[in-house]
Amino acid sequence: MRAHFSVLAVLALAFALGACAGVLGLRREPATHRFEHRAHVLKGINCVECHVGVVGADTTGAAHFPPDATCRRCHAKPHDERACNGCHGELYVREGVELAREHLRFEHRKHMAATHGDCVRCHIEVTEDRPEAILPKMAGCFGCHEHRDQWALRDCAACHVDLGDEGTPPADHLVHEGDFVREHGVRAASARDLCASCHTERECAGCHGVGTVPVLPAQLAFDDVRLSGLHRAGFRARHAEEARADPGLCTTCHSESSCNDCHTAERVSPASGARSPHPPGWITTGLGGGEHGLQARIDPASCAACHGGAGEQLCVGCHRVGGPGGNPHPAGFSSTKAKTHDLPCRLCHGVGP
Amino acid sequence: MRGGSSQAGANGKVAFCRVRQARAAAWTVFALTASFCALFCASFCQVASAQSIRLRADALAQTSSDTQTPAGLLVLQGQDQVRPWVDAEALVWTGAKPDATADVLVLAVRVKEPHGYGQLRAGRFVLATGAVLPVQLDGIDALGRTPWGMTTEAFGGVPVVPRFGARAYDWLVGGRVAQRVADAATVGLSYVQRREYGDVSNEELGADLAAAPARWCDLAARAAYDLVSPGLADALFSAAVRSPEWRFEVFGSQRSPSRLLPATSLFSVLGDFPSQSLGGTLRWRAAPRLDLLASGAAQSVGSEVGGNGWVRSSLRLDDRGDGALGLELRRQDVSTAQWSGVRATTAVPLGRGFRYASEIEIVVPDHPDGRGIAWPWGLVSLAWRSAAGWELAGALEASSTPEHRYETDAIVRLSRALSMK
Repeated sequence: MRAHFSVLAVLALAFALGACAGVLGLRREPATHRFEHRAHVLKGINCVECHVGVVGADTTGAAHFPPDATCRRCHAKPHDERACNGCHGELYVREGVELAREHLRFEHRKHMAATHGDCVRCHIEVTEDRPEAILPKMAGCFGCHEHRDQWALRDCAACHVDLGDEGTPPADHLVHEGDFVREHGVRAASARDLCASCHTERECAGCHGVGTVPVLPAQLAFDDVRLSGLHRAGFRARHAEEARADPGLCTTCHSESSCNDCHTAERVSPASGARSPHPPGWITTGLGGGEHGLQARIDPASCAACHGGAGEQLCVGCHRVGGPGGNPHPAGFSSTKAKTHDLPCRLCHGVGP
Repeated sequence: MRGGSSQAGANGKVAFCRVRQARAAAWTVFALTASFCALFCASFCQVASAQSIRLRADALAQTSSDTQTPAGLLVLQGQDQVRPWVDAEALVWTGAKPDATADVLVLAVRVKEPHGYGQLRAGRFVLATGAVLPVQLDGIDALGRTPWGMTTEAFGGVPVVPRFGARAYDWLVGGRVAQRVADAATVGLSYVQRREYGDVSNEELGADLAAAPARWCDLAARAAYDLVSPGLADALFSAAVRSPEWRFEVFGSQRSPSRLLPATSLFSVLGDFPSQSLGGTLRWRAAPRLDLLASGAAQSVGSEVGGNGWVRSSLRLDDRGDGALGLELRRQDVSTAQWSGVRATTAVPLGRGFRYASEIEIVVPDHPDGRGIAWPWGLVSLAWRSAAGWELAGALEASSTPEHRYETDAIVRLSRALSMK
């Protein structure tokens, strides 16, 4: 018990230190800062004065970051001799621009002509000094180019070289925000092929390949604590409570044998000698038969977890036609199955063994 | 390392297990070494194709083995776009669990019509379309589209049995037809039939809808109707309105647990006691780096009514969100599931490719019933990523569960990602 609390205390201390390092600024600060676009715009400097090659740029060539020489045309006496972009402009912004250059089929040349050289028409928030807003959002593209046919045919290749390789999350369309882990099932129902334009098979199979998945993505990425999901953190401790709170939810992915397979491997199943999970009064003789009937109707998967397959004979022993357990079907029950021939009907209604 | 378990193994069993684990570990080490050598060599080889090949290998080792995370695991992923109209993807793994084992998660080839009018998937993949519940399939999925917005899909195959197992007369067939309406909505109808050992285990008719009538509003819904024991098996809806600062979603669901079971199960004939929920989720960007998320739902299970709710905050420590602090409070009070929980996370980049993270969760059940008054769980990790695509991460995890008074595990992951043109 003492060891238990010691480990938890160490973890709590480590958590507190991490939080303090973030909040109090103890972590290492990056050397770069945002580029002063706003200051340049307020000085009346035209974009193309610095981004020289952009007017005639086609789909090839490097991104159009100004070299130091361009800066020094105005800033004749820089405060030191280091490269300008070593401090001015954040590295991840440049990486984002270069990524876009590599993965998008885009010609500045055509757009400059169409907008009469008005860069701000697309780079709307460039004057706000918000580095994340330097690249135009895709909704902005749709403002002029509707792309209805491409959207309908999931043909993204007109602009995107390879969406899977690009790996850029959509910033303003198909936004995966809120409680998206819960939401994604209903959202993907009508647009599975749209999801597939970015997501690969393994991303679906990582969770839904229940029988063959060796470890869930959230567990493999144990160091990315920003991930959320049903099975995150101490799910193993609370899984029984989660399952009881939403009967049927587990069954949408897991087979009814999943519980028993796992419990057997973990040696927590009644078969290995642990106590019965059923409370007193679970099965009684006489009318009603105890609590088990009601609970089996509310969450039949939890019964099937242990008593499914060959274990169903335990139920059939009492509930067979003419047996003491009575009819387990509710009023108005109907099924398209052949009573004496198909499974599971024939277990109780079958003629002979 | 575990303690306080109610289970005590016999000495002979322990010795047997140790021998078995040692063999499994040796096998895994061999597999890891061989695979990483192959991957390392591949990075220096010339690739015939002009298109990109993406490879990734993850090796995971853990001091304790259970069914959720094997003691040793190697995951190999490969993806290639051979031509613009064909791509292939594979993910295989091998691990000790504690026995050496292996399986294929994905092995699929996709062929596309260049203009998007159709595509064909074949191999092992997850089939999820319309109201059909996701199923892992060895089979074929063909999809055709028309310029006027109609999509037709047909699929068939054998549901996957783990560890290369097979069952006779197991198969699944189905299809979906969908139509886009006025560029603002898509309506679909689907049908699926599945058999186990020749008996019908699932036969459903489904409907789905997605609509975005305005830029600030969208909704989606799906429902599946059980044809074996006629009735609603599963229905979900979600409707959301949003602005840049906030988003509000209303959601609801109904599930019939007995109809979600295979119709070959005896427990599928007990009648319809659906579980239902109706709730809302609000996301609010309270400050440029602070997101608040709150969700609440009323639920009914059988004849009992309850609810659940949570509040989550996320404070980004930089513009990019590499560093973040998170706090989540949760309460569930439905039927016999009554508990409260708190979860806190930190992620802090340390520079030079290092990243520190910690996560703590404490769950307090209302009715412990001898399972411990609280179930704490915590993890502290340190990760390093190189510019060349190597990743090394290690963590210490500790918890107290209803089964074990305390558990401590050390976890190490080594990853290598390659992208070759």
